[in-house]
Amino acid sequence: MCAQIISIEVLRNFDEKRWLSMNILVVDDSAAMRNMIIRTLRQAGFDGNDVSQAEDGAIALEMVKGQLPDLVLADWNMPNMTGIELLEAMNEEGLKTKFGFITTEATSEMRAKATAGGAKFLISKPFSVDSFQKVLSAIM
Amino acid sequence: MPNRNRSEISEHYPGVSCHWDSVHNVYAVRVLPGQYYVTDRSDQMISTVLGSCIAACIRDPEIGVGGLNHFMLPGGDVAADGVAARYGIYAMEHLINDIIRRGGDKRRLEIKLFGGGKIMRGLTDIGAKNIKFVREFLSVEGYPIAAADLGESFSRKVNYFPTTGQVLVKRLRSLHAQQIAREETDYGKTLVEQPEYGDIELFD
Repeated sequence: MCAQIISIEVLRNFDEKRWLSMNILVVDDSAAMRNMIIRTLRQAGFDGNDVSQAEDGAIALEMVKGQLPDLVLADWNMPNMTGIELLEAMNEEGLKTKFGFITTEATSEMRAKATAGGAKFLISKPFSVDSFQKVLSAIM
Repeated sequence: MPNRNRSEISEHYPGVSCHWDSVHNVYAVRVLPGQYYVTDRSDQMISTVLGSCIAACIRDPEIGVGGLNHFMLPGGDVAADGVAARYGIYAMEHLINDIIRRGGDKRRLEIKLFGGGKIMRGLTDIGAKNIKFVREFLSVEGYPIAAADLGESFSRKVNYFPTTGQVLVKRLRSLHAQQIAREETDYGKTLVEQPEYGDIELFD
């Protein structure tokens, strides 16, 4: 029992160190939602020092080109350039950054487009700290 | 076109019902705690009854599309990025997204706020926490508040006409307050005991 706890603790510390070195770009047209996602990332074990943010897909695309983040977390519906348009534009530019959606709704058509574009995951809102931990540990 | 008898409106708004209101000569769409509704129909008004909960009435005046939500935060951290605020942000985003999907523009949104009353005896003013959240949310998002009737020791009945922006607010006497308080307590309990989270899908 004791050994089990220790091994989980070691694994947790290892994961946290790995997350600390990540650079995540949060893309959402709602400032309140961006703040919430960043706070949840912190609560999920990610320090937050390497989190940047963009308010739409067009701004995010330029940031991805310049910063080459490890992961993009994007909303689906945004003005100027939507989340799926951002993913498709990144594919056209040959940018291989890992990509996940955080959306208020997810239809089967959206899921099909997301998988076709090479997205790694889709989290439906409202999300929890637990859902962020599961996703980050699975894909990173 | 809905029946003149009470009926559910559409799959998109589960649980939201509609009936003919002969006083206002329109279809009255009733929104309960945790629900929201958006319309562009001039023959519809959206009704809700609030205690400590908040209803945001939001519309794009240029295209005549608008709606109303009805929400409260579970207990706990009500800072705009706190755990409890997830439900409030979610409620606001759902409503705003539906308006934008129908052609609305974020820069034109007219926002009116109601509710947040102190209707339960005791030290905790749940209404004040809900008010704090929604004001902070709108400030972070940069939305101005066009009108508001918030706080104080009242329950309220709100009738909203999204195509014109007119809101009829009736402050209710304590006779109704106990029933509203009971309904809101039950709603608050479900938020804490059965927290609703979205799905996670990992793709290959």
